[in-house]
Amino acid sequence: MRILDIALKDLSQIFRDKRILLFLVAMPIVFTLFMGFAYKSGKNNDAAKDNRIPLGWVNNDANGLVSRQLFEMLSDSDSLRLVELTPNAVDESVRKGEVAGALIVPLGYSEQLSAGREAQLTLVADLNSAQGQSIFQSLRTPVTQLMSAVEIARLSAETLGKPNDASELNETFASASQSWSASDSASLVKVELAVKDNFLGDWYGDNPYNQASPGILVQFAIMSLVTSGQILVQERKSRTLQRMMSTSLRPWEIIAGHTLAMFGVVFFQIALLVVFGQLVVGVDYMNAPLGTLLISVALSLWVAAMGLLIGTLVKDDSQVVLFALLAMFILSALGGTWFPLEVSSGAFATIGKLMPSAWAMNGYQNILIRGLGLESVWLPTLALLAYALGFFVLAVWRFRKMDV
Amino acid sequence: MSKAIEVNNLKKSFGELQAVQGVSFSAEAGEVLSLLGPNGAGKSTTISMLSGLLTPSEGDASIMGHSISREPLLAKAALGVVPQDIALYPDLSARENLDFWGKMYGLRGGALKIRVDEVLEIIGLSDRQKDKVSTFSGGMKRRVNIGAALLHKPKVIIMDEPTVGIDPQSRRHILENVKQLNAQGMTVLYTTHYMEEAAELSNHIAIMDMGKVIAYGTHDELIRMVGEQTRIEVTLNMEAEKVLSSWRSTEGVSKIDSLDGKVTALVDDSNRVLPRLFEAASKHGVRITSVDIQEPNLETVFLHLTGRALRD
Ligand SMILES: Nc1ncnc2c1ncn2[C@@H]1O[C@H](COP(=O)(O)OP(=O)(O)O)[C@@H](O)[C@H]1O
Ligand SMILES: [Mg+2]
Repeated sequence: MRILDIALKDLSQIFRDKRILLFLVAMPIVFTLFMGFAYKSGKNNDAAKDNRIPLGWVNNDANGLVSRQLFEMLSDSDSLRLVELTPNAVDESVRKGEVAGALIVPLGYSEQLSAGREAQLTLVADLNSAQGQSIFQSLRTPVTQLMSAVEIARLSAETLGKPNDASELNETFASASQSWSASDSASLVKVELAVKDNFLGDWYGDNPYNQASPGILVQFAIMSLVTSGQILVQERKSRTLQRMMSTSLRPWEIIAGHTLAMFGVVFFQIALLVVFGQLVVGVDYMNAPLGTLLISVALSLWVAAMGLLIGTLVKDDSQVVLFALLAMFILSALGGTWFPLEVSSGAFATIGKLMPSAWAMNGYQNILIRGLGLESVWLPTLALLAYALGFFVLAVWRFRKMDV
Repeated sequence: MSKAIEVNNLKKSFGELQAVQGVSFSAEAGEVLSLLGPNGAGKSTTISMLSGLLTPSEGDASIMGHSISREPLLAKAALGVVPQDIALYPDLSARENLDFWGKMYGLRGGALKIRVDEVLEIIGLSDRQKDKVSTFSGGMKRRVNIGAALLHKPKVIIMDEPTVGIDPQSRRHILENVKQLNAQGMTVLYTTHYMEEAAELSNHIAIMDMGKVIAYGTHDELIRMVGEQTRIEVTLNMEAEKVLSSWRSTEGVSKIDSLDGKVTALVDDSNRVLPRLFEAASKHGVRITSVDIQEPNLETVFLHLTGRALRD
């Protein structure tokens, strides 16, 4: 009960100055709009440079005539941009979204065709995606043209009775490839399903605010470390902390009361930003309402408890700001609030994924970008709650040792 | 019946500094005990230990029989503390402050409302209860500061220099409050460096200096310690170290201390000693511009015990 009284007192003090709303709500909304706009225009700029879909090109038939011809035809394409890859690099490039798919020319492809035997190209792509479909469609015409040309050349050569004269074949082939046959050749290309991380290449899904909204939300929640850290500093300055200690309140009750107040502040902020995200910029938090609630509660608790810990470590307000800003930059950058962790790699990403801010982003994006449900946020929620509890215990421990 | 306050060999060091060096005293239920001593004597440090803000380096104390180290919550529940510095939320009104602190002492609802009204009455701020504490004068803040410690009707109240730096009217109000609370049965531990306050309020006085209690007794018992000696205050027309040193060796002078041109001396018989002092001064070409012969008081006791004046 006294814990709640402390929290209500804090809240009435915090919200007494209405400028806090500017900081809590107006600023993050402006930043969300700004960031969303930046992501969107960034994407458009890229598109203006080269509109074509990147397609991996793996040629296991290095010296083949047919494959060389195919390469030249595809290079002239208006819709495809070839990226030469080694066979081993295909999976990784597709997964990272560097290419939208890959076309693999098998060993001995030209030879097989010249001999009149069947041969298949392999396309690694996701035909369920728009890009995968585009690639497939874009390949149809040139491949069919090529096959027709090869067939004509082969038949011509056979007719002339010189099946083994390469130069002869070549000549015929070159002229024949100018012609066109409409025969159905879907079987000429075998399609393998590409394994691709869903949101890469286009990591925010179809709405840039899917990154901007939760990113700014988490970042500004972390910014409340300043407010949270200042509570104890203020209580010490006004000597009310001493008075509190002279009552029969236990140290943990004092910390719990202030933590509860900051939880309220951060949760209030998050709730408004979620509503804004949902209603104004079309970010679908309500895809899993309970999931959004869980992550938001856990995130708020973590920020509140960590802020209180900062309050027990510092001497004055300026140190709070210093600590809080430092924490904010590290947690925001490493936690993937500015750009998704998946586009970075190595130690940065590994450490980043452990950050509480990353768990929060992960939870929100499971809902927003990956379209997953409640079950996908249990782990992030538990991780955040563990952080919250850890920081709370540390704060109480520090508080007991503190000279008030 | 155990004592209301019992302090047993309390010690507190801050690094090298031994701020409190083994302090013992006790207060009977229902009395006013003053801790009298100059700034830096260790009064606040002692009180911080009693109220659970500082952990003693050594020793223990109890409030209404509850040890501060073994039963801190019970000891705290019996205790109201008026800290030396104002400990209030400046951005909340007087009433909001009292409401909040009442809740911290476990009061709620109707009982809380009634008690806050009572306390506002006691401290004489009912008409200003809706105003923010930050708009109050020093004296009014001090009164709210006291009020916040009274809400739970503690058996024991500790007041740490509650009248420092305020107007005479507020000071009077506070002293009357102390007497009134004591008359209602509250045990009061009152610290001050104003000897008049200690004299006016206390049943017993403990004089503290440099981390120790150097004397304890009733007002009259303490005065008797200085015997027949008289304290005189002399003002000179100039600072003169030579005069002081010759006075020090003058027969009949037992202690001499000087501050800002004002010299305080403890002498055996002022009628015989004063002429000698005038003589010694004029020998050095220094004039005495005023002489004040004082009845023995706590100031005299302090000078007698320490050789220093009790200054504020
Ligand atoms: N927290 C502290 N850290 C270091 N020294 C302190 C602290 N509190 C008090 N002191 C020192 O302890 C001595 C006693 O101080 P205090 O108890 O405040 O005296 P009083 O209340 O009698 O004026 C002083 O020399 C003071 O400077
Ligand atoms: Mg003091």
